[in-house]
Amino acid sequence: MADKHKPDTDRSFFSEILSPSELFAARSRSHKIPIRGQKDFFPNDSEEQRQRLEQSLNEHWSLISEERVERLGNLVRAKWIPGDQIVELQSPAGKFWQTMGFSSDGKQFLLPEEALYLMECGNLQVFHRDLPLSIQDGYERFLSPNTLRLQQYQVFGHLKRLGYVVHRFDPSSEPSSYARRLNLPQSRDRAGRQLKRKRSASPTPSCSRSEAPEESTTERMEDDKPRHDGEEEKTVPESQLTASSEAPSVQAATTSTAEERRGRSWWMTEDLKHKASVHCPPSASSHWDFSTVPFPDLGGRLSGCLASPDPSLLPGALAVGVCDVAAWKGRINLRKVKMSAKERNREKEVCRRRRDINKDREVQQCSNWADYKKLLAKRQGRRKGRPEHLWNREVAPLHDPRQPLPTGELLDKISVLKSTNLLEGASRLKGSDEWKICFNVYQPDTVADFKKSNPGKPYSRMCVCSFDDPVPDLRAIKLLASQSGDVPVVIAVVDHGDISFYTFKDFQLPKDVYP
Amino acid sequence: MDGPSSGDKTPACDKENSFVSHVVGLSLCDSTPLLWRFQDLKTVRCQGLVGALLGSLPRTPRQNGRLGRPLLLMPEEERMLSDRHSAAALCANDQDEGVVLRHQLEQYEEEQRRSYEEQNVLALEDRKSAMLRAMTSSHTGSDAGNTDNLQGRLEILDQNFTFPQSALAVQLSTVRAGLIYCHEDRAFLQADWPMRAQDNPCREVRYQVFTDLRSRGFYLTSGGKFGGDFLVYPGDPLRFHAHFIAVCLPLEESVYLLEVLAVARLGSNVKKTVLLCSPGLNGVQYTSLQWSGMV
Repeated sequence: MADKHKPDTDRSFFSEILSPSELFAARSRSHKIPIRGQKDFFPNDSEEQRQRLEQSLNEHWSLISEERVERLGNLVRAKWIPGDQIVELQSPAGKFWQTMGFSSDGKQFLLPEEALYLMECGNLQVFHRDLPLSIQDGYERFLSPNTLRLQQYQVFGHLKRLGYVVHRFDPSSEPSSYARRLNLPQSRDRAGRQLKRKRSASPTPSCSRSEAPEESTTERMEDDKPRHDGEEEKTVPESQLTASSEAPSVQAATTSTAEERRGRSWWMTEDLKHKASVHCPPSASSHWDFSTVPFPDLGGRLSGCLASPDPSLLPGALAVGVCDVAAWKGRINLRKVKMSAKERNREKEVCRRRRDINKDREVQQCSNWADYKKLLAKRQGRRKGRPEHLWNREVAPLHDPRQPLPTGELLDKISVLKSTNLLEGASRLKGSDEWKICFNVYQPDTVADFKKSNPGKPYSRMCVCSFDDPVPDLRAIKLLASQSGDVPVVIAVVDHGDISFYTFKDFQLPKDVYP
Repeated sequence: MDGPSSGDKTPACDKENSFVSHVVGLSLCDSTPLLWRFQDLKTVRCQGLVGALLGSLPRTPRQNGRLGRPLLLMPEEERMLSDRHSAAALCANDQDEGVVLRHQLEQYEEEQRRSYEEQNVLALEDRKSAMLRAMTSSHTGSDAGNTDNLQGRLEILDQNFTFPQSALAVQLSTVRAGLIYCHEDRAFLQADWPMRAQDNPCREVRYQVFTDLRSRGFYLTSGGKFGGDFLVYPGDPLRFHAHFIAVCLPLEESVYLLEVLAVARLGSNVKKTVLLCSPGLNGVQYTSLQWSGMV
């Protein structure tokens, strides 16, 4: 190459403009990249090595020096609008329009990074003041803190060259975590999990854990106390049926509403309270005469409305109005229940056992449900010899050894520290500008049926940072995770020309024990 | 560690001396200095500076294996160039006045027109020679009637040939057009040099290690992907694998054993030697780490 600074060579040198004949010849040039041979281990000043190096360098420089030459007909023409930092198409878009660009006011636009990438691919010619922009112009004009940083463009280009569809991430277009949770059908499993987690974290309901002990202590009572059964959801309807003497109608009612277990049991207890209020005037904690507390007979005597229950029997500030049962009555199945001999026998057995309990004097002394439970617990404790003193105190063992529990559940029960995940509590954190998601990335294999208007769930979301930046702390990771929802956030670290990707994921330690 | 062989006589840089005098032009893109001009890239490579290519390769743009211009320099490479006064920043002169712009526009249109005409002629010639080839190869025994026939066809072609505008080959320039090296640029640049954060002690250590290794003839690239500061090549990275992973540490800084183990282990896994490099009063001290594998 010319090593002198003659003015005439300088020009051809630095402008790197091809002549028309060079342009014409370039139309039929090869698109192959020379293969790089095996590298040598150490330079040994041999002629052979020198030649190989020279050849490699020549290939390298011929690749690097090559200019983009395209037929005018294959180029999409566009205009740079500096004010809006955007590129407007002036001729019909090419295939790239499926995954890039947007329309507004009947015009087609490209974001600067998209335009720059297409320029680099030789698909687009961008004009500014009616003069074509070079790639260098594109880099220098399109990339800025207002649009995309160079590092972000490096990541964008890297992913685009691999075939991914890459869009800018817009936090406002993402549903908030609250909206995400409400929108069950779209991301059912996640929202469901989240709800469950929330529930177990708050002290009050904790249904799944309190259920087990209750069941085991009340094994015997199941048959005796039909009302409780109603709540326990696992019993056969027949037991309720016999408990209340107006068998057929109630049974029908329970089965017809039994589509949703939880919902039904709630409705049943409501009914019971009703009855109690109707028949027992505010006698507070007197001994309840259960024979006078019947179920509401929706099929027979009762018509129209159920009066509102005695407020003193209702918990807290709950107000229950008059309940119109007319609509329900229409749905009640009044057919007589036919029972097989086997079923009848079981009923009899149940009746017998129930009678036994009610004759028990101690049971009769119980004024309410809690008393009865206490009595049962006492009896059971006496029988099996639980070291009572351990349970008398404020601090009690985590687990009652008499309760059979699968090992897995037991381990879960006695684990004091619960595992957490990235999304937990993330919505309460205040946002920061330090870490931002840059791109939504969609997988290459979806390109064929990709729709810009409905891109679907991204494959991942991309953050861009430099090697000089710190590793994100837990707070930053949580914030990113909550912004991204159920799409993994990948962090692209740019180290000059190299780009490395890493991601933080929730990890559930494997359990040794399975039920 | 042995002192690496000093003075590299890499053949490709035989012309090194002729390039040292050449001042390369850096242009700022989003406050990062990039090299664009092909000759500048060659110049810095001959000075043993590798840099990193960022752009798509014009020949096959949709792959990441081999990239094209622009070239991004490491901060140390930048500083070395500036210390040698062999780099200058180029500014984008955006404030083109109307007259200049109009002139440029006329020039561009004129060039396009000329290009079309020339390519038109070339295309016609191309077609003719193709036709000639086809005729002569199909009729090996050429007789008078055939040549008449050929002549006639060529005339028809001459009259009817149109070179469609869409077939015009145009160049998508890599480098900004009309960018001609001038000496004013260089003066302008010393003041507004992009490499600013020199106060950072870490950078200083890196720079000293960089210059020392470079002066011993090694080629260096960024070593982030191997957990170090630099990757050290015995020759041009096109032909040689990196032998060392250089980790730059101030001499007085204490290191955690775990970190040393991690980097040594990583080095042995990629078959490279880890160098702890600490600049002291008597040059840079190198300590190599090797995983002994002794049981």
